[in-house]
Amino acid sequence: MLNRNKVLRVGLLLVMAVIVTRLFFIQIVEHDEWLAKAAAQQTLQSTIVAKRGEIYMMDGDEPAPVVMNATVYTVIVDPMLANREEIETQLNQILGERRMAEWDEVFADKTRRYYIVAKNLPRAQAEQIAKGELEGVWLQGNTERVYPEGDLGAKVLGFVNADGVGQYGVEGSLNERLAGKDGLLRTVKDINNVALSIGEGNIKTPAVDGENIVLTIDKTMQHNIERLIQEQTGKVGFSHISALVMDPRDGRILAMADTPSYDPGDFGNVESAEVYINHVIEDPYEPASVCKTFTFAAGLEYGVLTPESTYVNQGVTYVDNWPIKNAAQNPGLLGTTTIQTALNWSLNTGSTQALRWLGGSEVEINAQGRERLYEYFHNHFGLGQETGIELYEATGTVMEPNAEVYGIDSTYANMTFGQNMQVTMLQTAAGFASVVNGGQYFAPTIIAGKMENGEFVKAEQREAVREAVRPETSATMREMLYNTRRTWRGNGTDPAGYYVGGKTGTAQVIRNGAYVLDETVATYVGFGGTEGELPEYVIMVRVWEDGKKAEGDTHAVVVFNALKGYVQDRLRVRPAATE
Amino acid sequence: MRPQTYTTRRATTNGSGWSRNQNIVRHKAKSLGSISNAMIVGLLVLIVGLIYVSQGTKATNYDYELSAIEDEISELEAKKEDLAVEKARLTSIASSENSTVAQTMEGASVGGYAE
Repeated sequence: MLNRNKVLRVGLLLVMAVIVTRLFFIQIVEHDEWLAKAAAQQTLQSTIVAKRGEIYMMDGDEPAPVVMNATVYTVIVDPMLANREEIETQLNQILGERRMAEWDEVFADKTRRYYIVAKNLPRAQAEQIAKGELEGVWLQGNTERVYPEGDLGAKVLGFVNADGVGQYGVEGSLNERLAGKDGLLRTVKDINNVALSIGEGNIKTPAVDGENIVLTIDKTMQHNIERLIQEQTGKVGFSHISALVMDPRDGRILAMADTPSYDPGDFGNVESAEVYINHVIEDPYEPASVCKTFTFAAGLEYGVLTPESTYVNQGVTYVDNWPIKNAAQNPGLLGTTTIQTALNWSLNTGSTQALRWLGGSEVEINAQGRERLYEYFHNHFGLGQETGIELYEATGTVMEPNAEVYGIDSTYANMTFGQNMQVTMLQTAAGFASVVNGGQYFAPTIIAGKMENGEFVKAEQREAVREAVRPETSATMREMLYNTRRTWRGNGTDPAGYYVGGKTGTAQVIRNGAYVLDETVATYVGFGGTEGELPEYVIMVRVWEDGKKAEGDTHAVVVFNALKGYVQDRLRVRPAATE
Repeated sequence: MRPQTYTTRRATTNGSGWSRNQNIVRHKAKSLGSISNAMIVGLLVLIVGLIYVSQGTKATNYDYELSAIEDEISELEAKKEDLAVEKARLTSIASSENSTVAQTMEGASVGGYAE
């Protein structure tokens, strides 16, 4: 009996020892591990996803949404649980053409328990499916960017990729502002995954939704400019046309179009990623003779020329033993020629002479001339540097005046007519606007404000960044550009009472390090408004196609004229009263 | 004369006389037994526990209500967004251009301005 008691006692002690040892391990040695397991079971931790900001364009004075968010649904079938006959009948009826999987495929392998049969389903259809309470069918909601205006302004807007990150356009450059900041929820939960307020250490950091950004782009104008340039590709026969419309009085971009374009709602469906590039801001090029505007404006500023100043035009001039020829070889233009004529006929010899005058010389290009030209090109007109627009933009290149390179003088001579430099259309248009708007340089902008609680909060009134040229210089340049346009287009093109001026450019293209003869890019930049008043718009057009010769005075100006007529009407530019 | 002295009654009584005093009661300390103590403590713990559980349940009920309301808000917000998208689509330029009204309109050829 005694032995049996002893055995029982020892046995109990052993059991106790095992339990105590196990408890010791659980509570002391494996403490953290068990704590983590418990926390994982009892804690609900989830990200409170911030709502991505919407994007608006201006529709008259009111913002109109062009990029929004919508909940769309993915329909998933578990072939092991689903009754094929039942779901086939019901889903075929609801999904129609949206069904992306064949039923034989779905039910071929029942061990594969996750099969997507439809994506991006709108709410109404998703609700129909949910009502059916089909076993083995479930819906997964996702937020997606939707574009009520279709592909309008795709190059400006960009898109959001599968990871929810903005790419290209406003979506890319303002991704941080649009994305907002996700919040965090960490609480004790119950068995039904419901967050409980009991317990310690619960955290709820609310999400900060992204900003609803309003663009300066005029929705209707953007639509029509896109339509017009698309039409013009057929009319002038070139595959690529880019266009920019801006308000020279404050730098607001009213339209920015580039063809060919793409559908941001189906951004993956493109032949090449090249189509995502916005050539207005991301593709520096040589704008050619439109830069004579800048050269002569610099000359006026330094007082080395007037529209009536003369030089001897021989059709060609030599710099660094390199011949600089005029495109217009009209014998009637040879001899003593005014600067106004040089601008009218886009004579390269005239702009080269202006560079010599900037250096205080009649015959040579020197450091002073180069420095003065650079001062205006780069520092006053902003060529070869970012404009500060709220989009990704290229910097471009304007060679410094004292760069130790071979042929710096001929480089600068070429720069006077917009070659041997790389600038964006936007830089050129912003600089041009500063020449014609009275002399103030406004950094271009695409942001008009933001929407807050359904109200439009306008961005602050814009101030000029600097004085690019004196008001007198600006007035003279407007007159010169007006005359140039009349020379080329005849008196009848622009109706009476309107004041429209502009300059063409035809640039040779560098291929494999050398200028080629069979390809040119055409540009036209012009302004317009009521006669006797400051311009109300600046339009810049670029036309090109690989392997083809586009001319500023034949192709770009035609596109400009088409756009100008529309823009004038859209902005309700009134002609000056005639006597 | 024999001197007379006064002696209190208590002084004249001896020990047995004291015990006879019926007005004097000696109280004996009484205490609860260990089982009773344990039961009382248990009862108190139970009451506190019940209060705690009832409060916890109440809070959990609120949490359920809150969760349901939050779900409803999300649902309504999603519906509102869908409606906003639908409205934007219906008022889009493409919709306007393709509308039956637009189809019957004539294109403007010359623009004029009223003075």
